[in-house]
Amino acid sequence: MTVYDDVVCPFCGCCCDDLRIEVEENRITKIENACVLGRAKFEVYRVDRHTSPVGLQDGVPRPIKLEDAVDWVAETLVKSRYPLLYGWSSTSCEAIKLGIELAEEVGGVCDNTTTVCHGPTIQGVHDVGEVAATLGTVRHRADLVVYWGCNPVHAHPKHMARYTIFPRGRFVRGRSERRLVVVDPRRTDTARLADVFVQIQSGSDYEVISALRMAVRNEEIEADAVGGVPVERIEELADLMMGCRFGILFFGLGLTMSDGKNRNIDAAISLVRDLNARTKFLIMPMRGHFNVSGANIVSTWQTGYPFAVDFSRGYPYYNPGETSAVDLLARGDCDSVLVVASDPVANFPRAAARNLVGVPLAVIDSHISATSTCACVTIPSAFVGIEASGTTYRMDGVPLPLRKVVDPPEGVRTDEEILSAILRRVRELKRGG
Amino acid sequence: MELLVKNGFVYDPLNKVDGEIMDIQVRDGRIVGRVSSSAEVIDASGMIVMPGGVDLHSHIAGSKVNVGRLLRPEDHYWDVVPKTPLTRSGVGHSVPSTFTTGYRYAEMGYTTVFEPATPPLKTFHTHEELNDIPVVDKACFPLFGNNWVVMEKLRDGKLNECAAYVAWMLKVSKGYAIKIVNPGGIEAWGWGKNLTHMDDEVPNFGVTPREIIRGLCKVNQVLGLPHPIHVHPINIGTPGNYRTTLETMRCVEDLAKDGKPCIHITHVQFLAYGGVDWLSISSHADDIAAYVNNHSHVTVDMGQVIFGDTTTMTADGPFQYRLYQITHNKWVNADVEAETGAGIVPITYVRKNYVHAVMWAIGLELALLVKDPWKVYLTTDHPNGGPFTEYPRVISWLMSNKVRQRIVKKIPRLARVRSNIKDIDREMTFSEIAVISRAATAKALGLKDKGHLGVGADADISIYRINPKTIDPSSQYREIRRAFRRAAYTIKDGEVVARDGKVVKTPTGRTYWVDPQIPQDQMARTVSELKDRFEDLYTVRFANYGVSEVLLPRSTPIPAQSTL
Amino acid sequence: MAELKLSLRRSLRVPIQAEVINPTILAGKNLSEVCKVQVWEGNALTTLEDLFKIDGELAKDPKEQAVIVEGDLSKARRIGARMSAGKIVVLGSAGLLLGEEMTGGSIVVEGAAGSWVGAKLKGGSIEVKGDAGDFVGAPARGSTKGMEAGEVIIHGNAGAQLGCFMLNGLIRVKGKVGAFAGVHMQGGEIVIEGDSAGRLGAQMVGGRIVLLGRTPSVLPSFVIQEVRPSTRVGKDKLEGPFYYLEGDVAEDSWKGRLFISAAKNPHLKFLEEHV
Repeated sequence: MTVYDDVVCPFCGCCCDDLRIEVEENRITKIENACVLGRAKFEVYRVDRHTSPVGLQDGVPRPIKLEDAVDWVAETLVKSRYPLLYGWSSTSCEAIKLGIELAEEVGGVCDNTTTVCHGPTIQGVHDVGEVAATLGTVRHRADLVVYWGCNPVHAHPKHMARYTIFPRGRFVRGRSERRLVVVDPRRTDTARLADVFVQIQSGSDYEVISALRMAVRNEEIEADAVGGVPVERIEELADLMMGCRFGILFFGLGLTMSDGKNRNIDAAISLVRDLNARTKFLIMPMRGHFNVSGANIVSTWQTGYPFAVDFSRGYPYYNPGETSAVDLLARGDCDSVLVVASDPVANFPRAAARNLVGVPLAVIDSHISATSTCACVTIPSAFVGIEASGTTYRMDGVPLPLRKVVDPPEGVRTDEEILSAILRRVRELKRGG
Repeated sequence: MELLVKNGFVYDPLNKVDGEIMDIQVRDGRIVGRVSSSAEVIDASGMIVMPGGVDLHSHIAGSKVNVGRLLRPEDHYWDVVPKTPLTRSGVGHSVPSTFTTGYRYAEMGYTTVFEPATPPLKTFHTHEELNDIPVVDKACFPLFGNNWVVMEKLRDGKLNECAAYVAWMLKVSKGYAIKIVNPGGIEAWGWGKNLTHMDDEVPNFGVTPREIIRGLCKVNQVLGLPHPIHVHPINIGTPGNYRTTLETMRCVEDLAKDGKPCIHITHVQFLAYGGVDWLSISSHADDIAAYVNNHSHVTVDMGQVIFGDTTTMTADGPFQYRLYQITHNKWVNADVEAETGAGIVPITYVRKNYVHAVMWAIGLELALLVKDPWKVYLTTDHPNGGPFTEYPRVISWLMSNKVRQRIVKKIPRLARVRSNIKDIDREMTFSEIAVISRAATAKALGLKDKGHLGVGADADISIYRINPKTIDPSSQYREIRRAFRRAAYTIKDGEVVARDGKVVKTPTGRTYWVDPQIPQDQMARTVSELKDRFEDLYTVRFANYGVSEVLLPRSTPIPAQSTL
Repeated sequence: MAELKLSLRRSLRVPIQAEVINPTILAGKNLSEVCKVQVWEGNALTTLEDLFKIDGELAKDPKEQAVIVEGDLSKARRIGARMSAGKIVVLGSAGLLLGEEMTGGSIVVEGAAGSWVGAKLKGGSIEVKGDAGDFVGAPARGSTKGMEAGEVIIHGNAGAQLGCFMLNGLIRVKGKVGAFAGVHMQGGEIVIEGDSAGRLGAQMVGGRIVLLGRTPSVLPSFVIQEVRPSTRVGKDKLEGPFYYLEGDVAEDSWKGRLFISAAKNPHLKFLEEHV
């Protein structure tokens, strides 16, 4: 039996690195310190997967050789005039680098799941900046924690226990010395734990944030209520935020994907920026996939841009709405798609998903997904963080090493190996080979 | 592989070669005495030959730089670099992408570039980016001036334990030197506050900036590190701050040993202001220069301002917040638990702006008033003062009083009055330029095989299309600028990597780091103590902290002998 | 005016970068040179004649040059980008970034246009007979400098964030607009004849927005000043009455002005109490 300590969990943006995994004869027999989501990934990873590449022949998926699969992908990409390489958030940085290199080589677009998740956050950052920190600063100092439009109890189960509410910090003893505020249209399970719950009308986040900004600036709000919240409560919340010693606002898709999108984030960051004139206040997005931050970070240092990078003219070009996957697909701009470590068919809008499966489509993923069932070619890959090592970046930008604790099934390669093979073959084809 | 660089005008100040026509011989990546007749010949007739440029302070890699890239798509938009069969694509200007950074340095004839500020918790990221900067040799300086363990040890008078901790940190982060930014002030910024006096106490830590600087200066000497403490003092960018800068330099005067530098003050232009507010800001570069002239324990680098759009980024969180308040530009803040912070604000330096014009003057005054060029180095604190691609412009200014005075006539009258630049007519020579951009910086960093062309040195050579016999740098400043922007040849480890400002080869550079040799038992005690409290300090586990040597494709440790 | 005609030969599968469809680039050339002008089609370069049947006349001076383009150009990005003189008529729909950074001349699109019509506009005029997408007159990502001068007229509906970070100039929409029209506006004028989806003038610090149609609500950070009987846009007098509000109070030094039709917004009558 082998025991692996300090294993980094490859599920959500928390990237908890205190997991303890026991392995016997290449099977995981014990998982400690994981939350329900992480535990599920370590328990269930072996099911619903191909162990050899699969190609659609007459509409029926049949096993094919890896080199044939690689050939098909390489030929398709080289022939394409505007290919899309999408996904990336659930694989390692090493694989992401290869993806960027491949997109550059074939003159395509490299986009990751930020496009349907925190793209608006990044657009807010472009306009206003951001006021952030690593998660440990929150544990050490925060006496006020606000969760806005997110539900960590379900989506980031250990967030409050490891980083924000329950643990002891150098300057804050724990739960008793912290105030938990939740702002949401629904009384979520996180809201049930809150000291203060502010229920707002769905889609009125922007108005409520504007009102808070006015209160922070001592301006009179000439209304009885904003977003369904009585003005007195808004002013109380503003006072709470101004009166804390160290506050932080965490936000999720409730803010990025509701009415207003990047303007919601712009306003939220502006609010926190305004609060810094009164006290120490930070703002951070709750990143979903465990390495979506890594996809942004690697893409930014190599190309200057965090997602939706268009290499079609030989240099990186970025304009979400123009070069982002959902919009490209909705307009039917792309003539082939390679999906890596993601399932866009399951979560893209219908028009985009329809165009996605209407073009030559290849999938590299560790398990069978809605997207892979529609793909012309599927190449199975090892689960990063379980069957393959690599680097990931936590939601606050801290780099962490993902571990390999078991071998992948016979014949299943890592994303890195598969992408390297495709890149090699693409270069051969371009040279005339 | 042999190379013969023939007939060039060689400037090798470390070996006292000042423009002689000489051959430089290279074999297997090093400078040698003789090569055979089968050596590849580069005809450098009529051209200047210098050691490859060594930049000791340029923000090119790491999480702060990367958030700067993220912040500024509008900076990248108009400066794009297409892919070629040999080179990767990228974007440029003030926060270039990594591949572009390496290529552009090589095209200017630079062969070594050091990232001057990295937060240890995220230094893995810094090295990943350095790995993607092609051609040049590189290193990074971890930040220590607001580190909790350092502050506690110094507060408790445990200097040796502090030294052991710093040794551990340098090994584990693969860092090169002790970087100090706004000592104690960034910890205060953890609560939204700052420090303004050398004897202010850091809230909750019971140490002062003075004690942190002195303590780390002593640690540096105990560990025998090749570079002195690299310091960004308190009060940066504040009118009247020249006083604290002088105080900072003075505060370790008594610790100097053997007349060697024991402190380096970086981007000192931002630290040489008189006046009491922005309306009264003036240059006190003369006071700073006078001190540097009269003392041997301190070195400085310029931090020159270039008029135009750029991005400020430092670990100095509170200063960056203040800059946001002044400019109302977008603002990034990024504190790092238990260690340090960072801030980013775009800025446009405008010649008509009186404050910016004074800042412009101060950088040049410092370089020209410090008499010994071995004490003052060429930097723009990229990108804070301006992009590194503007170094050739700075060189042309330093070599030509004529172009300086042309600019002086166009700056606001008040800026002329409140600075000294109009009265300085010194023009640097090629030899002095070689000193401030190569020889002195290599020496300051303790890189024995860099910054010179003596036998045994790394064959990092730059050849510029300038004939020192026929050019008049004073009037031909444009030619000077153009020539330094596109080296005729850049040679790295004996291979031509760039020709006429175009990269022709993209080898992987070395990553230098310092490996302090301390007694085993001391290291074991330090590690054991740290392990016990690691979870109290950080939100990552001890096993997941740090940078393994396997990450670095050309890891080049430099051992340092400690007195522990 | 000399008229050059470009008729699309085939339907576009992938986007083309059509900034060469531009009097400033084409004038002064002869027909065979025009045919050989290179165009990005996805990731490969092709020529104008590969994409278009080309005939007509060429003038020496761009000011005298009209370019008539026929076909479904909804995948043609950047038609007329950076043009400084002359005229473009699109008999069909145009793609994204129509007239980006234009400094002079005029563009008319008979059909619809994609997002970013007149992005970073510095002069000239753009008229879209159909609908336009989001971000009319917007700046580059990360920049706070939107449209600086010139005129954009949308006959149909426009999308969200119209006039984002606008500095100056005029945008007129005859139909409806999406949310956040005039967001971060700094100057200039926006006239909306149809309805707004809401959040008019969010975070604006200057400029004027006139809404003749309906808006579901007004942001709390706008303060009613008075009811005005009419207002002016350029030489036109627009009859009200209008609710006249100033804001956005949540910003530093705000001087933005909203004129909202009282008649079309009876649900906003409560504003009169706060005058």
